[in-house]
Amino acid sequence: MPDPIFYHSIKVDEKKCIGCVVCMKVCPTKAIRIKEKKAVVNAERCIDCGECYRACPYGAITPLTTKTSDITRFKIKVALPSPVLYSQFGSNVMPDQILNALKEIGFDYVYDEALACEMISIAIEEYLERNKSPRPIISSTCPVVVRLIQRLFPSLVSLIIRMEPPREIAAKNLKRELSKEHKISEQDIGIFHITSCPAKMVSINKPETMEKSYLDGAISIKEIYNQLMAQLKRKEHNFILQTQSQASGIGIGWAISGGEIRGIKQDASVSVSGVYDTIRILSDVESGKIKNIEYLECLICPDGCIGGPLTVENRFLAKSHILKLIRKFGGKNRIDISYVKQLYEKNFFSFERNIQPKPFSPLDPDKNEAIRKLKKKERILKNLPGINCGVCGAPDCESFAEDLAKGEKDLTIGRCVFLGE
Amino acid sequence: MGEETRLSEEFEITGGDFINGGMASCRIKNILKEIGIDAEITRRVAIASYEAEMNVVMYAKKGIMKFILDSHRITIKVEDEGPGIPDIELAMQPGYSTATPEMREMGFGAGMGLPNIQKNADIFNIVSTVGKGTNLEIIINLNNKNA
Ligand code: SF4
Ligand code: SF4
Repeated sequence: MPDPIFYHSIKVDEKKCIGCVVCMKVCPTKAIRIKEKKAVVNAERCIDCGECYRACPYGAITPLTTKTSDITRFKIKVALPSPVLYSQFGSNVMPDQILNALKEIGFDYVYDEALACEMISIAIEEYLERNKSPRPIISSTCPVVVRLIQRLFPSLVSLIIRMEPPREIAAKNLKRELSKEHKISEQDIGIFHITSCPAKMVSINKPETMEKSYLDGAISIKEIYNQLMAQLKRKEHNFILQTQSQASGIGIGWAISGGEIRGIKQDASVSVSGVYDTIRILSDVESGKIKNIEYLECLICPDGCIGGPLTVENRFLAKSHILKLIRKFGGKNRIDISYVKQLYEKNFFSFERNIQPKPFSPLDPDKNEAIRKLKKKERILKNLPGINCGVCGAPDCESFAEDLAKGEKDLTIGRCVFLGE
Repeated sequence: MGEETRLSEEFEITGGDFINGGMASCRIKNILKEIGIDAEITRRVAIASYEAEMNVVMYAKKGIMKFILDSHRITIKVEDEGPGIPDIELAMQPGYSTATPEMREMGFGAGMGLPNIQKNADIFNIVSTVGKGTNLEIIINLNNKNA
């Protein structure tokens, strides 16, 4: 059963949208239609991949992340920066400087997510060793991939690793420790992910695997960038360069595609990035075409989170900065492995509840009716020109035929400019 | 049940065409998703039809895959013009394969094709004549999941 309520990470600004069809064309799940010259997103089909946001030439797609002004309601404010942040200020600005700058702009604590990434690398290995469940096991890090699997590949849901991603594990740990240390309630601690990813907001507002997320918001790198830059500039002259940030190259490497599997020893691991390639490989897994792969890391954005829609730095430069940091900080774990194993024993990393498949609604809830509609769709499709121009308001002739077959309100075949009203 | 609610499609499969091999089974999978067939059943059909399709690509000159959906079951029939299978019992053993080293290099021919089809099918029939070809019939029931 699809949920009645949907949360999403983007909104169409109707004042800015001119109905140019660009977003509709790039949407991988065909969730967008143009109705009365405005883009309309079908909430059920949207997986929050951010492709429309990237593509819109008019800035009409707005990401819904936490504003820095929203954080004041917490007594203790914690920033949890994704390692992506380290790639945004050129290759000479070190993680320590950035963590420091975050603190200066108003956070009480700053915790390096890269450390949690390292922990999870160890935990993934442990998981692979202990669970002999069918392969490949699929990463749960990217919330969009999780949603994509629930929607488009429901039969693969059981392959997703039943382990929370680094951001949640870090936040869970921080809430515990800080509330003990300061003797205040966990509710008074606000933990904010500093992120390149609007979809994190969805996984925070409506987590799939737990009652309530341990994070309290996600702040866009774009939003915080200028403030950080100003801080970094100010400190430029009197800051002593430190390279002994606690994380190693393994944790920092999670910012780019392949980072997650770099930290684990299993040879038969594969990393894929970008929404279309992810769909392709998952489709192959579904057909049983992919054999002998242990672990599959999929990230929706090109090159991984570093290609997230809310970044500022050029993606290719950013990647080169991260690679440089990986070399600099080395591939030796700085996390105590036995500590991670202890936590693992206590199920500290595990999902609280399983992910449920949520397939797209079929053409009709009644099977016989669905078959009738499918046939109708095919008949209609035969009459359409197959040019996929999008002028009818659907992304391609097939989607238009489908909308017609479903009996969409006020829609007639005359909407096709080649057939005429 | 009337003709309107029975769905059948036919796909041609070309032997040796590893590039397009898998397209028919992919198309079938998408149809099942659009109709709202249970995810687990869809996956079983996807796997069985993919293996059957790739068997034609690997061993036969050409073949035809027929897909029929009615209210109770999904039937997939594959008829190929190929070398045929001399010893079906042997071919059904997991790990048995006549694939060439090149095919194995590409990840095919692990000898799991027919056993995999059987594992995912509710009914599986195979008839083969050496020198003429092989006919497969794969039936997967819609209601009782793994009969
Ligand atoms: S890309 Fe989409 S949201 Fe942006 S203006 Fe065009 S139709 Fe509107
Ligand atoms: S790849 Fe990273 S940034 Fe992109 S959607 Fe997934 S988690 Fe977010």
